[in-house]
Amino acid sequence: MHIPPSYQPTDAAGKLAKGFIRNPLTPILGVFLLVIGYIALMLMPREENPQMVVSGSTVIIALPGATASEVENVIVKPLERKLKEVKGIEHIHGMAMDNVAVINAAFYIGEEKEDSNLKIYDKIMQNMAILPKGAMQPIIKPLDIDVDIPVLSVAFYANDPNMDPTHLYDHVKEIQHHINGLPNVAVTDVKGAKKHQFNVLVDMNRLSGYNLSLGQIVQATQSLAYNVPEIKGKTQTNEIVMIGVRNAIESVEDVGNIIVAQYGGSAIYLRDVATVTAGSDIQNFKSALVTVRGEDGKFSPLKDQITLTVSKLQGTNAVVIADSVKEELEKYKEQMKSQGISYVITRNDGERANEAVNELVFHLILSIVIIAILLIFVLGWRESLIVTFTVPAILAITLFIAYITGQTVNRITLFAFLLSLGLLVDAAIIVIENIHRHFHSPGAADQDADELMIEATDEIGAPTNIATLAIILTMVPMAFVGQMMGQFMKPIPANVPVALIASLFVAYIFTPYLAVRLLKKPDHHGGHH
Amino acid sequence: MYQKFENALLGILNAPAKKKAILWGTLGAFLISVAMIPTELVLAKMLPGKNNDTYSVYIDLPGGSSIEQTRVVSECVVGILQQESEALDVEVFLGAGSPLDFAGLIKGSHFKNSENVAEVVVNLTKKHDRHEPSYMMVQRLRPVIVKQCENITPQTSIKFIEPPAGPPTMAAIVAEVYGSNPEGIRHLGERIKGVFQQTEGLVDIDIMQDEIYDKFEIQVNTDKISRSGLNVKQVNDILYLAFEGMEIAVKNSQKATDQIPIFLTLTPEGKKFASRDKMAIEYKLAGLKLMNHMGMMVPITEVVDVVPVKSNPMIMTKNLHQMTNVLAETDMVSQVYPLMDARTMILDTFTDEYEINKIGLFNLELIDKKSGERYELLWDGEMEVTLDTFVDLGGAFIAALILIFLLMVVYYKSFVLSGIVLLGSFLSIIGVIIGHWVMDLFTADTFFLTATSLIGFIALIGISSRNSLLLIDFTKSLMVDKGMHKKEAIAYATATRAKPIFLTAAAIILASTLLASDAVFGGLGVSLIFGTIAAVIASLVVVPVLIDNSDLERHFNFQERKAVSIMEP
Repeated sequence: MHIPPSYQPTDAAGKLAKGFIRNPLTPILGVFLLVIGYIALMLMPREENPQMVVSGSTVIIALPGATASEVENVIVKPLERKLKEVKGIEHIHGMAMDNVAVINAAFYIGEEKEDSNLKIYDKIMQNMAILPKGAMQPIIKPLDIDVDIPVLSVAFYANDPNMDPTHLYDHVKEIQHHINGLPNVAVTDVKGAKKHQFNVLVDMNRLSGYNLSLGQIVQATQSLAYNVPEIKGKTQTNEIVMIGVRNAIESVEDVGNIIVAQYGGSAIYLRDVATVTAGSDIQNFKSALVTVRGEDGKFSPLKDQITLTVSKLQGTNAVVIADSVKEELEKYKEQMKSQGISYVITRNDGERANEAVNELVFHLILSIVIIAILLIFVLGWRESLIVTFTVPAILAITLFIAYITGQTVNRITLFAFLLSLGLLVDAAIIVIENIHRHFHSPGAADQDADELMIEATDEIGAPTNIATLAIILTMVPMAFVGQMMGQFMKPIPANVPVALIASLFVAYIFTPYLAVRLLKKPDHHGGHH
Repeated sequence: MYQKFENALLGILNAPAKKKAILWGTLGAFLISVAMIPTELVLAKMLPGKNNDTYSVYIDLPGGSSIEQTRVVSECVVGILQQESEALDVEVFLGAGSPLDFAGLIKGSHFKNSENVAEVVVNLTKKHDRHEPSYMMVQRLRPVIVKQCENITPQTSIKFIEPPAGPPTMAAIVAEVYGSNPEGIRHLGERIKGVFQQTEGLVDIDIMQDEIYDKFEIQVNTDKISRSGLNVKQVNDILYLAFEGMEIAVKNSQKATDQIPIFLTLTPEGKKFASRDKMAIEYKLAGLKLMNHMGMMVPITEVVDVVPVKSNPMIMTKNLHQMTNVLAETDMVSQVYPLMDARTMILDTFTDEYEINKIGLFNLELIDKKSGERYELLWDGEMEVTLDTFVDLGGAFIAALILIFLLMVVYYKSFVLSGIVLLGSFLSIIGVIIGHWVMDLFTADTFFLTATSLIGFIALIGISSRNSLLLIDFTKSLMVDKGMHKKEAIAYATATRAKPIFLTAAAIILASTLLASDAVFGGLGVSLIFGTIAAVIASLVVVPVLIDNSDLERHFNFQERKAVSIMEP
């Protein structure tokens, strides 16, 4: 630059080195890269496993009273044939049971979720006419991995086993509402819930004693349990008069007091022939139990519990959501404690993802340190320092590009980084080694340091470029691996080439920049290399 | 040191016998390492087990079992799990699936809705604080739990589900039995289940079909019904109301969070049958009376007959063909080898009933000798995924080789030199396979050659081709620019490049050591470590010999100039 017979770089490597070696923006660029990389690492949603695009829908059609083989012939077979017309379906599974048909269409991995759901919905709706008489409205359940798979589950249980299970349900329901209101929470659901219900348990012996049929009781109850909206009337001066019709049944006692028949002049109340209680849904055979290791190290006996599950919106950070749910739960902890309710978090994918990511980040740092130590011994500490700086810069660029392309930080992304770590220090090592060699060559003392740097960088530019290209080429075909495994590994072909290209740029820009400031020319005789 | 190496290499290049020995030795090492795969010295698996903080137990009682029976079995399982010092909490979900996870999604856990199923979820202490990996714990507990709890109700199946390391599959081994005759499929499925039970290494064996159990059908006598002034709907409703119960009305409430249904049914004591036979049912039904349109009470038994029948099992189809699945998990072994064993056993023992033909790679066609009906046995599950993945990765590998070859041809404008680069990079497979064999000797459980090993191998092609590339590049510049003799140039170039080759290799090996201890990525780590070692040897010894054997002068358009001493380049 400022020395007249300046070296003219022929390769992009030398040109980059020349452009940045005295540029005041270079350190700013370096700091900027590290900052955006750090921001990307903090902002990117963390997951344990990479996201997979799995699409499919399940169609459930009930045909009461039909046997499995009837269902097979009139629902499953015709519908399967129709679904065969949809493009992109890999497998169709049909299940014909007594009274119900279940058809499951699984799309090829990677088929767009919304499109696939729409295709199935469309196909079923077009073919409603082929459904047999008596078949109920089809239920179409699209598969949605993000919404269907909860990231967090909490089991609530009463400390006192005699507590009314519906009481527990009321509390969980209230908390559920609060949690559902947290940002990025998609679906909350409860499992093992016992809902409020007025149970009318009819005693068959008493029924026959009064010579009544079940049908009469049903009719009598239904005739009273009828709700109507408020009636709107008008006065002569056109003012509105609202008349509310009070429900005949307000409490469980009202149910018991329903007159089911007149028998010899005296009324027979429902409570005479049945036990009427305000309880829980006894017909629901599903329940959930939990046993927790107490502070004394012993397991509690199995207790009824209600599990609240929380799932997140696609592309949001499970770690953040899990933490905010935990915080929300803490708020109610005291209140619940006073009611005799405890909870235990039984699944926390956010924490799991965070741990997996942190562990791998730790491994990454450890590997960098190990390589740095190796380089200190072989090249010297200044050179080692320069190479060690390039690694975070390269990873920062890769992370940032991953962030803006909508990827997440997961095990496989970090595994791609670990895999590329051994490769991406190479460019920097090769540059620094060549600079080192030039510095220690006999004619070095007479040459300008900047010129030396540029020449050394330029010299190895071409073979390094082609070698890096060769490694990138090995990664590209991996992007075309199909099936779930291909989806699973996608972060490798997506990130390793980016990291390798970044490694070239960083090596050509920052290595000479740092070398000219950190390295000292030896006093003539040169080093021992 | 580099000087010594250079002299030794020059010595080798000048002695044709030594060169031959090296090439034959390399070929021998290559053949031995490749032979380790068919001889099962190195075992292949898609992905190894992963150490998890949680796992599930799926409990399936035979169809027609009650929730109380299911609860007893679940309590038995929980009782055993509670004795584990590493367990933190255990949840049981009776009659339904646990909160969905990825494995459950594929295994259909979210469709569970019957009294004969339950799922148990166990949470363990954090894996860093635990000595025993979850997969070892499962392996240890499985026989204990199966022995104690599976016999409470006959035909119960208890399965252990661990979160998979990679993509989930329905099961490690899935045998799909296709045919057109439901009884034939059922029979063949049962026989295959029998084979799986005898195969070593297979556990959690289950057949995806409903058990056929006894049930009773209430047949309405239409003649009597119309004469009694009743209708069929009344009969059906009353039966449902009496034994299942119905929500007959709802009550809106300002206090409760939901509408409150009014649910009507008989008292639990009133509902219970004395025993599971026709007499008891008829006795109970006699108490139920219907009111006809004349206001007369008619006992329900007057208008119906109770007939014992068999239940209708579910009919399953896949891609429009009737089929059933026989599932099995592997007990810490690769699924490839038990599958081959089971297949051999089927080929050997099923000949009494079926004529067996092989179709495709592993699939079988079975023709019933008596009826002439045709069945097909196709393998699916993790096996199929493994096969697909390895085929795809193999394809990726070949594509990578071709791309590098083309790149080298463009760069060198010579097929021979490009071939040498490729051959040199292919030799790293020796290190990869032998590395796995060595690791297997040193680890307690089997160290599998996995999909991640293959990824490592693919990455290695790039790394070792770079070594060869730099070597040839330097040799070329020595010969063309400095006018060195071929052998001297090769030896000097190799010795000079040895330092950066060692340095970058050391960087890769050190970066991979942490990977090698990981359960899932261990294969990749080992591939990179041992493959790099092999690649270094290949680049420094085999590639120089190969270059020396090629006609370098022609490839470089080299005209002999005056010789320059190698000491002063």
